[in-house]
Amino acid sequence: MEDKTKTLQREFLKVFEKLEVVLGWEPGYDSLHATPSFIRQAQDLNRLVWNPLCSQNLCTYLVKTLNASVREDDKKIGICVKGCDSRSLVALIQEKFVTRETLYIVGIPCEGTVDWRRLMRLEPSLKDVQEVHIEGNELDVETAQKTYRFPLQHVLEQRCLHCRYPNPIIYDLLIGELITPHASDDQAYGDIEKIEQYSLPDRLKFWEKELDRCIRCYACRNACPLCVCRDSCIAETRSPKWLAQRCDLKEKFFYHMIHAMHLAGRCTECGECERVCPVEIPVTLIKKKLNQIVKELLDYEAGIDPQKQPPLLTFDPSEKGI
Amino acid sequence: MRIGVFVCKCGTNIAATVDTEAVARKALEYPDVVYATDYMYSCSEPGQQEIQQAIEKYDLQGVVVAACSPRMHEVTFRRAVEKAGLNRYMFEQANIREHCSWISKDTEANTRKAMDLVRMSVEKLRFNQPLFSSQVPINKRVLVIGGGISGIQAALDCAEGGLEVVMVERESTIGGKMAKLDKTFPTIDCSSCILGPKMVDVAQNENIHLYAYSEIESVSGYMGNFKVGIRKKATYVDWDACTGCGLCTEKCPAKKSFDGFNEGLDTTTAINIPFPQAIPKKARIDPKYCWYLIKEKCKICQKICPVDAIRFDMENETVEEEVGAIIVATGFDLVDHSVYGEYGGGHYPDVITGLQFERLVSASGPYGGHILRPSDGKEPKNIVFIACVGSRDPSIGRPYCSGICCMYIAKQVILARDHIPDCNCYVFYIDIRAPGKNYEEFVRRAQEDYGVQYIRGRVGKVYPKGEHLVVQGIDTLLGIQVEVEADLVVLATGVAASAGAKELAEKLRISYDEYGFYMESHPKLRPVETNTAGVFLAGVCQGPKDIPASVAQGSAAAAKTQALFSRDTIETDPQIARVNELMCIGCGKCIDVCPFGSIQWKTLRDGSQKAEVLDTVCQGCGLCNATCPPKAIQLQHCTDDQILAEIEVLCAGERHG
Amino acid sequence: MVNSKEESTTKKDLLMVGFLCNWCSYGGADTAGVCRFNQPTDLRIIRIPCTGRMDPLFVVKALIYGADGVLVSGCHPKDCHYNKGNFYARRRLEVLKQFLPFMGIHTDRFRYTWVSSSEGQLWQQVVTEFSETIHGLGPNLGVHGESDAKAAMSFF
Repeated sequence: MEDKTKTLQREFLKVFEKLEVVLGWEPGYDSLHATPSFIRQAQDLNRLVWNPLCSQNLCTYLVKTLNASVREDDKKIGICVKGCDSRSLVALIQEKFVTRETLYIVGIPCEGTVDWRRLMRLEPSLKDVQEVHIEGNELDVETAQKTYRFPLQHVLEQRCLHCRYPNPIIYDLLIGELITPHASDDQAYGDIEKIEQYSLPDRLKFWEKELDRCIRCYACRNACPLCVCRDSCIAETRSPKWLAQRCDLKEKFFYHMIHAMHLAGRCTECGECERVCPVEIPVTLIKKKLNQIVKELLDYEAGIDPQKQPPLLTFDPSEKGI
Repeated sequence: MRIGVFVCKCGTNIAATVDTEAVARKALEYPDVVYATDYMYSCSEPGQQEIQQAIEKYDLQGVVVAACSPRMHEVTFRRAVEKAGLNRYMFEQANIREHCSWISKDTEANTRKAMDLVRMSVEKLRFNQPLFSSQVPINKRVLVIGGGISGIQAALDCAEGGLEVVMVERESTIGGKMAKLDKTFPTIDCSSCILGPKMVDVAQNENIHLYAYSEIESVSGYMGNFKVGIRKKATYVDWDACTGCGLCTEKCPAKKSFDGFNEGLDTTTAINIPFPQAIPKKARIDPKYCWYLIKEKCKICQKICPVDAIRFDMENETVEEEVGAIIVATGFDLVDHSVYGEYGGGHYPDVITGLQFERLVSASGPYGGHILRPSDGKEPKNIVFIACVGSRDPSIGRPYCSGICCMYIAKQVILARDHIPDCNCYVFYIDIRAPGKNYEEFVRRAQEDYGVQYIRGRVGKVYPKGEHLVVQGIDTLLGIQVEVEADLVVLATGVAASAGAKELAEKLRISYDEYGFYMESHPKLRPVETNTAGVFLAGVCQGPKDIPASVAQGSAAAAKTQALFSRDTIETDPQIARVNELMCIGCGKCIDVCPFGSIQWKTLRDGSQKAEVLDTVCQGCGLCNATCPPKAIQLQHCTDDQILAEIEVLCAGERHG
Repeated sequence: MVNSKEESTTKKDLLMVGFLCNWCSYGGADTAGVCRFNQPTDLRIIRIPCTGRMDPLFVVKALIYGADGVLVSGCHPKDCHYNKGNFYARRRLEVLKQFLPFMGIHTDRFRYTWVSSSEGQLWQQVVTEFSETIHGLGPNLGVHGESDAKAAMSFF
């Protein structure tokens, strides 16, 4: 991984004069976290890293922070994307939130990112971590004391276990070798099928239990690259008033339905919503189910082809699937 | 807010199965309701006065009437409350008749339902806002697309009424299909004799500006204020100079040009005037056949033109016209009969269409009015007419009846027998459709007076045998198979939508059915209007029909246009979408989905882009509202808050066990 | 703002919320009324201009907040008064219908149909069948959790 970090820094330095800002990752507040990095000066490029801790989807900042649709000069935005992130990028291009020409995309094929919560549960005494890298099917965690080895299946994010797109599908520069996906197309919805084995009342109970923990922090919404309404979001508006702010499961349940349905046919399954949830609600399941329906009914997957449009924003007079 | 509730008994229509007094009493319990009563007939004059008096006496700010369907009397009550000083949109009507009292005899359940329905209306009303129309000026000019008989009629009627008309015709002459006909049914009038004077009127009328050999490039704007881009196609002849003398056509050496006017039965010269009575009577060069335009040889026409009108360097030109209304009269084309392999698939020269037969019979046709076989020029002795070719046939996706073929076959057999008195004519038909005035009598004439053999049955196959064609069919009335040795076979090919109909519809933002015929607002009550305000239909583009009906629709569309222009301004309907710019995130999804193109971008001073609704184009469907993620765009009088209020009050209500 | 819900264990009248498009289905329901076609009394109709106005979240709102059934009806596809509204609705509502069971809500509690202004008899059939279906499924017990306001209030 070390050489990929160096490659990243070197490549961005080469083109930096054409870029307004570079979005990448740098080491985070502790040794088990990376954090998004906004590099505006060439000498700061050496802060950039690439390792299995780089879990954030940087595309979320394009519209919400950088207002990428409005560019004042010819300078581009440099951005690092993993496979899943690149789909979000394509989705933003599909919906015209950002144009391809304003981006300089560095794609990095990804073997998976680490869910630090799973890691800590496996090894609560972990500290003084110096380096983390993937070796074959295992994660090596080097601390000052010793090197731990964990099977990847046990420590990767849930989204990585079902990953079908490890290789960026859009990029100006690709760093690294192409990777075989962890999951095949027919394994894509294994987690959905598990829920669907419950009876209908049990499914309701499952969701009542999970969603009751929700504290309406809106981290899931804020982390989602396609949720760009920000302060206009109907979860919080008073006019129209879709949701009350009272602490009630009905409101929370409805909020998650709103979020998921507003993403139906648009969600690229980057998994950020689930990663950032402070109370670990499996929210990606809801969106994945909608994606599965859209795939089967309307033969469409978001964030793959920049020329296509999300099907719920279009129609077909002679609908074939319905 | 101070709300008054008026529960109508509607005689016994409602009162028989709903306890209206109880509903009114219950209404007083609802928040903001300060007055509630029931009344015998709310829509009657005393009923309306009761409402108006209550508004004044109790200082009401909103009114709910629980009565019949709002589709019936909403307009009535809105006017009533407006007269009493309220904004007409501070009114809601609960349907406790068609949806309640009339569909069940269970008085207890109906009364509870009526209470719920009133509760919903009250709750919605609490979120209603006064709405105001605006006045928009109208440009009193009309665009007529299509120069066939419907378009001509519409244009003449509008011009008669003092309106300025812009007519756009795709071909280099107006007249449409009617100009190709020899005679018309049921009068056997000479087609060009009745059409000709109208065409001349169009050319000479001061109020009509004709763009021939032109097409519609773009349409933007809204009713009263359309901007239309018209592409004037290059004719390579300066029509301001051309006198229509025809010298160029006599001398042009490129004699193998496709003759569209004669339906391909003949060839013509590359520079030509389509037919002698063409309006405008101007020459045009077909670039596909002109020797100079293809290989830079010739230019004879330029040399001999007495007024130097030839312009080989001419290019297409786009002009813009502004109009207030558009009449679409684009007519039709024939179904392509080559799908019927059993009839030769278009390969047998002596199997022709009905329109080609018209050209044979016409004096200005390829054979000077003599009916001759296209293959060898001999006079046919046995002519077979096959009805319903490409009509009434679900197997090729055309289940509809073309409406004119039975009649024109009858006309054509009469003409055939007139031209060739000793010929034998056979008609293979399924049914005879002769609904118009004197139509049935006309068909009878063909059958009885002209000795034409009408055989009820379909034709399975037409195949060549030596010089002739064998038509194999069935006579279902006699129950036998029939074979006719024919010299000429005429297929009564059905009517299809005009080429390019769908593309034009998309530019105009009108809808079309699966065959490409344009959709009228209502099939029975509004046959010449479309759902797009300011765009009207006339003629076969709306559906197969004969000349009398086409002319009637042309006049109807003109009348609608006159009515539209009878005022100087249009009042917009305020029940349309409106954007809250503070909440709009500029994603553009509403602009993409709007069926009418009524939302456009607006750039604010800080450079941010927001959506903006064009008041006069928005039809109030609410698709934008449903699509908008932050719900910044709201359909007035059907906002999210209003609908949510109705849902919430229902779900929170008491259930009875 | 609204009356509090009194939950009774035996609900004879179930709550069915209907969203009908003004031009076709509302007219169809009117026609059914004019012809005096007998129908169950459970349905409460909300009038919208077009099924294109129908945000699927209205259906979700109704079902989560206690409606026993939701019925949406509009013009037949291709006959939409506004040209295209029901084409969008068809997709969005079908996706919703297949999605509801994943969250534990029976798919039959939501139904969408196409009924034109003249089809009074069809409307009667739709309402009768839907009412039977909902009565067969029983009352919608809704969504409940520990965090419910009532439960929270019981603390004090």
